[in-house]
Amino acid sequence: MTKKINKILIANRGVTAVRIMHTCRDRKIPTTAVYSTPDRLAHHVFMADFAVHIGEAPPVESYLNMEKMIAAAIQSKSDAIHPGWGFLAENHKFARMVMDAGLIWIGPRPEVIEALGDKIEAKKLAQKANVPTIPGIMDVNSIEQIKKWMKEEKIAFPIMIKAVAGGGGKGMVKVESKNDLQHAFAQARSEALKSFGDDRVLVEKYIERGRHIEVQVVADEHGNVVHLFERECTIQRRNQKIIEEAPSPSINEDLRKEICFTATRLMREIGYNSAGTVEFIFDSNTNKFYFLEVNTRLQVEHGITELITGVDIVGIMIDVAMGKKLPFKQSDIHPNRWALEVRLNAEDPKNFSPSFGTITRLQIPQGPGVRIASGVYEGADIPPYYDSLFMLLISAGADRLDAIRVMDRALSRNLRVEGVKTLAPLLLSIIRHPSFIAGEFSTRFIEEHMDELISMFKEKDSQDEVLKIARYVAEISALGPQPWM
Amino acid sequence: MDVNSKVKDYIFVKPGMSPKDIVKAVRNLQGVCFTSVGMRDAGQSDFKNRHRIYDLATLAPFYNRMGLFSAECHGGARWHVGVMNRRESPFEEIEILRQQMPNVLLQTLIRETNLFGYRPYPKNVIEYVVSRVDIDVWRCFSFINDVRNMRAVAEVVMKRGKLFEPAISFTHADWTTNEYYLSVVRDVIDLCGGTEEIIFCVKDMAGVGSIKRISSLIDAIKQKYPDLVIQYHRHITDGLAMPALYAAAQAGAKIFDVEEDSLVRFYGHSPILAVQAYFEEMGIPVNLDRKEAESAVQKVREWINYYDWAESPFKGFDHTVTYHKMPGGAFPSSFEQAEKGGFLHYMPAILKVMSLYNKIIHYFDVTPGSQITWVTCSGIVNKYAKAKGDAGVRHLIELLTKFVDEKNLNIDLMNENEKEELLTLFRNAPGDFRNLILGHYGKLPMGWPPDWVYQSTFGEEWETKIKERMELSPLESIPDDDLDKLRQELSESIGREPTEEEFILYLMHPKDAISMIEFREKYGEAPLVLPTDVWRHGLKNSGDKVDFELWGKPYSIELVSIGSEHEGIVHVVMRVNNKTRVYTVETPRAKKVEIRMAKSANEIGAPINGNIWRIGNPERGSLKVGDIVHKGEEIANLEAMKMENVIVAPFDAQIVEICVKLNSFVVENQLLFVLEKQ
Repeated sequence: MTKKINKILIANRGVTAVRIMHTCRDRKIPTTAVYSTPDRLAHHVFMADFAVHIGEAPPVESYLNMEKMIAAAIQSKSDAIHPGWGFLAENHKFARMVMDAGLIWIGPRPEVIEALGDKIEAKKLAQKANVPTIPGIMDVNSIEQIKKWMKEEKIAFPIMIKAVAGGGGKGMVKVESKNDLQHAFAQARSEALKSFGDDRVLVEKYIERGRHIEVQVVADEHGNVVHLFERECTIQRRNQKIIEEAPSPSINEDLRKEICFTATRLMREIGYNSAGTVEFIFDSNTNKFYFLEVNTRLQVEHGITELITGVDIVGIMIDVAMGKKLPFKQSDIHPNRWALEVRLNAEDPKNFSPSFGTITRLQIPQGPGVRIASGVYEGADIPPYYDSLFMLLISAGADRLDAIRVMDRALSRNLRVEGVKTLAPLLLSIIRHPSFIAGEFSTRFIEEHMDELISMFKEKDSQDEVLKIARYVAEISALGPQPWM
Repeated sequence: MDVNSKVKDYIFVKPGMSPKDIVKAVRNLQGVCFTSVGMRDAGQSDFKNRHRIYDLATLAPFYNRMGLFSAECHGGARWHVGVMNRRESPFEEIEILRQQMPNVLLQTLIRETNLFGYRPYPKNVIEYVVSRVDIDVWRCFSFINDVRNMRAVAEVVMKRGKLFEPAISFTHADWTTNEYYLSVVRDVIDLCGGTEEIIFCVKDMAGVGSIKRISSLIDAIKQKYPDLVIQYHRHITDGLAMPALYAAAQAGAKIFDVEEDSLVRFYGHSPILAVQAYFEEMGIPVNLDRKEAESAVQKVREWINYYDWAESPFKGFDHTVTYHKMPGGAFPSSFEQAEKGGFLHYMPAILKVMSLYNKIIHYFDVTPGSQITWVTCSGIVNKYAKAKGDAGVRHLIELLTKFVDEKNLNIDLMNENEKEELLTLFRNAPGDFRNLILGHYGKLPMGWPPDWVYQSTFGEEWETKIKERMELSPLESIPDDDLDKLRQELSESIGREPTEEEFILYLMHPKDAISMIEFREKYGEAPLVLPTDVWRHGLKNSGDKVDFELWGKPYSIELVSIGSEHEGIVHVVMRVNNKTRVYTVETPRAKKVEIRMAKSANEIGAPINGNIWRIGNPERGSLKVGDIVHKGEEIANLEAMKMENVIVAPFDAQIVEICVKLNSFVVENQLLFVLEKQ
């Protein structure tokens, strides 16, 4: 039985909302945007067909406010809600509320979200499906418990403390030594409580020099589960990914098959529907991979999978939500390109300190092989209240080097952002780094190479330089000859 | 004969030639040749060194074909003023000139141990700097003619295969006899190992040498050292420069300093075209492509009017320079200071006191001596003026005149009151004066001043101070600087690794170098690419525009409008390469929101930008002033993009001040706490 979707409310903002609206536009499905007060003039608001104000700046009053979100859908006569990623995307209560209100939830079933959102539950499900998991303990209430486990299992530092309800790098703390344990434990719990309203944590052995590999899966309500191959998301800063690519350069064909089938098997056992991602940590020393978690939502980096497979994942999510069958079988999926994504965050590339303000000038890269999702336009504000990601740049090529070349061009020649600092110089340094090009890296690549990466920042750019000169001319024109002259 | 081979005729020396070959080429020249000071001393003498490389570089193509001995384009005060006022680096200037006049020897002026600054530098700094500046001819002088001080510069220059040009500071006084100068020349020749690889310069920096005096001096030197190639550097202040140049040429000087006729004012050098015509008429051939020189003179007229503002207010020749001896370069800056200090009307009195002071303490009024003389004398005059007004100043001059002219500098012949007065005359003299008479710059040309000067300067301590006088050259006595440490210091001030050139600027003038580096970070290459009217006044009317090239690409800045001032803010709308941009410019009336930054170890700053959402920690709750915190204890928590950042006490401490409110946004390194170590 298929349902019809006439209008989709996108319960999100910025790049996320913009990306989903692209597909809605392709499908000629009208969209409703929601916005908080500081987002009144944001890009996603202009892109939508209809927009509803849902509250003040703090996320709890706006983008995390479930009642307001449902009310906005009803008010705007939307009959479906896409949560995007972040905010309410993995909130099973919200998914239930959406369905209870008679609206279509574009995402996996609430029970699945609930089960997989709980890291302990998820780990158990994985173990049940014979998926390898990282040694660790669940339901940790005290540091004594951690010490005991480490002693019994002969585990050495570093270890990882993770929020049970966590995701997106939040509520995740790496502990280097016994001295830091107390702090780290408290911090993880506090962050967990603040971000997810649940202060339960679990503790795992830290896989040194691990790589982060994940498998994109799509499933329908008719029992069809298809993987769209893997992505490599190893380049991270503070546990948040900033560069992703597909396929993974870390694994060979056999491992690829194994990891993809493992993911598909797990999702089938769970009875998954819609799009989701199974994340693994890959230990390249032992060639072993371990289950990390399942992300029950669209992911930031889904675009690279779309580029290598030609599948519109958002479109699939909409189709599945309407009750349609997947339009392809596993044997129809043949990746034939290499894609690379960088996340353009408004941050100081030297220390990741957030950089907020108005984008005074914006030149978006173009040319062969480039795909952009931008959450902003020239003149837009980046408010301090939300995630600093404002643009996704994706490049594609026949092979990895080709994709890197295209990205290099996009970052170094075409892109121009004025008014806020961005990660662009760092991203460029990374993709030009010999180790990155050789595919030799771990999740600690950035911290290990930070000084070197900074030293690779291009010192001067003639466009920047001419603006400095223009600033001088402006000041002297306004103020006249100066005493120091 | 085609045009090219004719051009070749005039070019007789080139960069890359060995000093020996250069000296030989000058000797073999029939007649004489010129050094153009149009790119350095002309601007220093009459325009406060404000001539920008943007304009000076327009002369380079002509210089390149003119057949000059060299172009003086570097050193002296041009270095410091470049850093401080024009915001140009001397390294950039050399690079531009090298490219645009590859045929021309580039010449600098260096102040022996004082290099391009005003104080003696340690030997390792001298060697470091001199070996890293790309100059062909190194004219080096000592304001006390202490040849010992030139050693470090001479050694590095000669070792690099560059031409060393030792200069003697010349003045006209009863003690500056030919015998005295010949002894200095002997020292110079000893230092340089003969006359084959140097050019020797007589530096008349104030323009005071009478025609007969200079003729006699050059003749005496040539008699003793017939092979020595002599260059004559003579300012025009007294109005008698051209006949003096001719007399020097007749006596055997080979190279003369000149500048474009259109640059000549009152304190610089003689006009190039006029000197050439004069010499030729008198039968002395001049190696100069007159047509190119005329073009350069004409070129100057295109930009010289932009510098009217920089000219000295004291206009006209001044033959009384033969008394007060203020050098060309110091004239405009002294008058500028007098004007700013509100004592311009005392200038005649100061000049008079300088002429009397010169007879008490013997050295040469050229940097840094001229500054010492100026600050000391203007200080004494101002002291008297403040105490007793015009009458006090008159009294001072009477006192000194009596002492110098009537009593022949014999303090015992003065009455008790006058004696007492003289014995406090130098009590407020500047530190550099004290250093000078203590030998920190080297030995004075006529030996130490009389004892009463020490009594007058140091009071009761005078005898101890006399014992502390240094007989050694500062080259021997000043300990080496720790260059790595200095580089580290600079690196910390500017927040990045400095370039080699920035570091050298810093070694010379630390404070001003940092200020220039900051300026250039903010305004880029504005000092190099903007025409002078725009550099000084900006764009005035809507539609005014400035076109320029930067790194091989064209750019254009056009003024659309300048808004009216509102609460200290003016909006300037411009089109930069056709794109409209709005610039917010703060006027001096803008309200400054000052953010306090953490500076010392007991001040705790924010690690990154973010929101301070907790002050204190969950265990003990919030903190207040006076609370004791322990090392490692969390004292605040900062949230940025949903990530928590713990701020801990770095040591056991008491909280002296909490500088932020709860839930406020802070910027990186903004001051959060002031602690007192327990």
